[in-house]
Amino acid sequence: MTVAACTTPTQDLLAYWLDEVDEATESRLDEHLFACAACSERLRSIVELGAAIRNELLRGDFGFVLPAAFIRRLKESGLRVREYNLEPGGSVNCTVTPDDDLVVAHMRAPLHDVRRLDFLVQDSVAGSMRVNDIAFDPEAGGVTMVPSVAFLRTLEHAHQRVRLVAVDGVEERVIADYTFNHYPS
Amino acid sequence: MFSLERAISYAPPMGFEAPEPDDDAALARRIMASAPARDASAEAEICRRLGPRVRLYGLKHLRNEAAAADLMQDVLVMVLQKLRDGAVRDPEQVVSFVLGTARQMVIDGRRGARRRVQILEAFPVDLTPADEEAPEPLDTKRLGRCLSALPERERTVLVLTFYDDRSADAVAAELGLSAGNVRVIRHRGLERLRGCLEAAGGEA
Repeated sequence: MTVAACTTPTQDLLAYWLDEVDEATESRLDEHLFACAACSERLRSIVELGAAIRNELLRGDFGFVLPAAFIRRLKESGLRVREYNLEPGGSVNCTVTPDDDLVVAHMRAPLHDVRRLDFLVQDSVAGSMRVNDIAFDPEAGGVTMVPSVAFLRTLEHAHQRVRLVAVDGVEERVIADYTFNHYPS
Repeated sequence: MFSLERAISYAPPMGFEAPEPDDDAALARRIMASAPARDASAEAEICRRLGPRVRLYGLKHLRNEAAAADLMQDVLVMVLQKLRDGAVRDPEQVVSFVLGTARQMVIDGRRGARRRVQILEAFPVDLTPADEEAPEPLDTKRLGRCLSALPERERTVLVLTFYDDRSADAVAAELGLSAGNVRVIRHRGLERLRGCLEAAGGEA
């Protein structure tokens, strides 16, 4: 027995799932998904992958850069979020407690004329790294970093410096530096 | 997980032809023909095939795991009973009948507990469990490796999209991007992630 392949493009299935299609298209895909085991299975796998991505954020194994509006939604949904606000050149003593679900750093910065933004991170424990081309809203007046809570929990005293760099072609311009002095709770 | 592994697992051994399984309509006819006795294997098979699709439909339209599971059970109970009663006019259209039943149940008040009790009382069948084939769980370590390998921009868009199933328009508004741009990044990120997961699966 062979399993017929799903011929509906993934982006169409995702658009359907995210309510981006009109009523007629939604109805047509409702019918198709009932009749086609392969497409139904593909959509199920996409939905499952989406749920796993959500869980990865909640587990705190990874760092993310996310908009401040999203952090507000997380808090409204009941997550306990420890927040630090830094001005350009700012420094903060920071920690994570057993009660925290997430720790976030809101780093204020003038970004209205920035086309591409990179992070340079120097960490006394994890070493140096560069994160290229982060997603940001130039009008938001800053970016929000969500470090891995799982990693933070392993730290004793640590020191981290984050530099925001605007990139335009081959030109680079330092926008601001921020310093995090981590101490155990 | 959809993958080559699973497709291969369906292949019959070399030199043997797997018997053609009954299609959905054939299963419906078997259930109708057996009534008032039960064709347990046909009922189990139709539940196994259609249960996950009803559940997916419920998740899409109700956005709630528990409600989708309830919908799946209620729809299957009603469909099996209608088949046993000979009340499905055209067994060739059993899939459409299942979809229509699911649609109507979602419309009916987006489903209150009272209506659910009424359905279960009105159709007192001992439902063969949907016996949904448990999907192979995602390897979270592998997913973690693949997620961390994604470009930051794609990771951000995927998290914003999937955390609470937000459209490209909504994600675009939060990132100061166009919806079209978000769709491109989202598609690229998803394909990259799936590719990484499948490649990692092949290595395992």
